[in-house]
Amino acid sequence: METKPGVPYDIIPYGEQALLIRFEEKIDAAINQKVHQLDAYIKKNRLKGLLYTIPAYCSLTLVFDVGIFQKERTIDKIKAFIPNVSDNASQLKSRRLKIPVCYESDFALDQDFITQTLQMSWEDVIRMHSQNVYQVYLLGFLPGFAYLGSLPEALRMPRKAVIRQKVPKGSVAIAGLQTGIYPASVPGGWQIIGACPIPAFAPQQDPPFLFQSGDMVSFEPIDMEKHLDIEAKIAAGTLHPNSWICNE
Amino acid sequence: MINLLFEKPGLFTSVQDLGRLAYQAFGVPVGGSMDRFSAKMANTLVGNPKESPVLEITLLGPKIYFLEACQIALCGADLSPSINNTSIQNWETIDIKAGDRLQFGKAKSGCRVYLAIRGEWKVQKWLDSASLASLHPELLTPQSFIRKGSSLSIESNSVIEHQVLPRNKRPNYPELLELGVYPGPEFESIARESIVHFFQQTFTVGSKSDRMGYQLEPAISGYKAGAQLISSGVLPGVIQLTNAGQPIVLMADAQTVGGYPRIAVLDRRSRDAMAQSKAGDRIRFRFQKT
Repeated sequence: METKPGVPYDIIPYGEQALLIRFEEKIDAAINQKVHQLDAYIKKNRLKGLLYTIPAYCSLTLVFDVGIFQKERTIDKIKAFIPNVSDNASQLKSRRLKIPVCYESDFALDQDFITQTLQMSWEDVIRMHSQNVYQVYLLGFLPGFAYLGSLPEALRMPRKAVIRQKVPKGSVAIAGLQTGIYPASVPGGWQIIGACPIPAFAPQQDPPFLFQSGDMVSFEPIDMEKHLDIEAKIAAGTLHPNSWICNE
Repeated sequence: MINLLFEKPGLFTSVQDLGRLAYQAFGVPVGGSMDRFSAKMANTLVGNPKESPVLEITLLGPKIYFLEACQIALCGADLSPSINNTSIQNWETIDIKAGDRLQFGKAKSGCRVYLAIRGEWKVQKWLDSASLASLHPELLTPQSFIRKGSSLSIESNSVIEHQVLPRNKRPNYPELLELGVYPGPEFESIARESIVHFFQQTFTVGSKSDRMGYQLEPAISGYKAGAQLISSGVLPGVIQLTNAGQPIVLMADAQTVGGYPRIAVLDRRSRDAMAQSKAGDRIRFRFQKT
């Protein structure tokens, strides 16, 4: 099958209540942006019976109320949407976030392993990790866990051979060409590079999630003092996590 | 107000409704009742809206003390329910008197029974749903996880007439299930021999089966995993194959994205039937015509 710019690869039935729209099978910022553009367009133009969507790297899953879902009609409708999506795209502005990260060794549990594997000084690792702009490709694995990409090739690390039984909440980690912030203390296989004082998932807050798909994110290195200060202010409610959004 | 007290929690008892829709783009599992037909039917039999909360009771039932009179219905698995030691039936409206005790005995068929109680449930919701949250359940949905000494309050409603679901409309839960599936997104890219094997094999429900997913045994013999897939959206009812060729049926609390090939998707009746299967039950898949 041939793909034209801005045109999804294909739309296929996915069981009796869902459709899957597949773009070119690739982890790529431009392809992922098309997923988010189409997702936003579909949500704005309300498809009948649509319950929820799952935007991912290069696919968009649409889940419908099975009692209302008319498969063929919906596929036709989406196909008709597609030519308008790229026109609409210019109006869609990604949020920009600048997120503080403390790279000190108290938090950077895998510092030694990373510097040895990459043959790089810790300062260089910090510089490369923080001086890059990342795109939120998708959220998944846990509520609020954002897959941010892509890391510079020089920071490519394997996953841990043995899963760490408890990755502390707030850990900033890398694996492959991706980085992310753990929203909760859970077992995890990524290499831990630091910690973020802002919760990626704050259940009592509205909205409870720091990131959304399509966000553009950069990191600002902070020291321990600043880290603790931000944490204390968030706990006291004097600093709203939305203060990290640069535009809007 | 109807108050009830859990004198025994049972093996795993939780408050569930139809789940947490619209937050899957943030990685939140859908959640909600595993067997949606039974949960909705239980609510219908007590005159509640079908999306009202219910108690999902798994294999070993709780012991519940009712402080006030109310109307209930049990639908799904037959866990030998009784009130004050007199057995009662599933699939019908039942009157409860103040001071009654509901308890359960032997699991005769199925895995999960749904207890609906007429009225408006006073339980804390998170993201528009009372369903037990799979992450931080105590913080997000504190009343939805039932333990010894837990209590629930329900705003009472006028009494309704008894209803009984006719026998021919009740599902049965055989130990050999035949489940209907549609082809999954990676169906075409899986080797033909593996597909044939998938439909010829009788699988057994493994012991690692819970609200997130059911693992089936054995693995598909001779299955060769392809290149790693780029993670993509998944939903309850999707059947994935691990690299070893083991089928995993995703259930209500499954993650929202996955990277294993999706060989098939259960039809909705089969998803409910799967939720009533337990470790050791046997399963065969049959192609569902689209």
